Amino acid sequence: MALTAQAMARHTSAGYNSLVSLSSQTARVKVLFFGRLKEIVGQSEDSVELPDGAPIEALFSHYGANHPELARFRASLVASRNQEFAAWSTPLHSGDEVAFLPPVSGG
Amino acid sequence: MNKSLQPDLLALVRDPIDQAALIRHVRAAEDGAVVTFDGCVRNHSHGRRTLYLDYEAYESMALGKIREIAAQIHEKFPIHLVAIAHRLGRLEIRETSVFIAVSSAHRPAAFEACRFAIDTLKRTVPIWKKEYFEDGAVWADGEMPPAPLETRAAKPAS
Repeated sequence: MALTAQAMARHTSAGYNSLVSLSSQTARVKVLFFGRLKEIVGQSEDSVELPDGAPIEALFSHYGANHPELARFRASLVASRNQEFAAWSTPLHSGDEVAFLPPVSGG
Repeated sequence: MNKSLQPDLLALVRDPIDQAALIRHVRAAEDGAVVTFDGCVRNHSHGRRTLYLDYEAYESMALGKIREIAAQIHEKFPIHLVAIAHRLGRLEIRETSVFIAVSSAHRPAAFEACRFAIDTLKRTVPIWKKEYFEDGAVWADGEMPPAPLETRAAKPAS
């Protein structure tokens, strides 16, 4: 599912990021950033509106476009949806919680 | 599976880990062995002197993944109980960042389960450490968790 240029416009006046025009069917998802990604994006949490069913990949592209340094890490990241590792093609729906996870280094 | 009424003890903590309490938790009359792993903060990394570490986690998911590890080792090994605690926040040299205790009737299961638990934790639990040196700080090289296979947008009807 491709997002149009218009759809990528940020509706900052509404107080949140939106990837879609408000007339289409949308999903609002929570996005979390950790470790170096949090430092690159400058926030630990965000709330985004996107077309219902859009894949995690499209959500990442939204941030990658605004933060080129983030896009460079794409190959070393794993995505999660609702606290489970998820494929980048996983479709998103309202209420989902998504995170982009750098290589883990606990222990 | 875990036959005891006493559950496993699995936690993310911000204060120093009470190792003795974790050992007491898993150790029971039917156990012949308790194997522990003490992961501690080392004073060097890649030839540089480490000053301290700072750990952060995706806490809800990290706890979920630690619970999965506990379930896995109960399934794979004939153990009695497991306790796993991982500390978050700033840790000084020599402090314990992760502690695992596994009890079993006979030692091979406890050794193998403890090894499996720490190896799996380091690969699958969303926790990150930042290493602070005299001349700066870096996020530690980590391991990429196993990602699910990508699926096609349209699946053929079966």
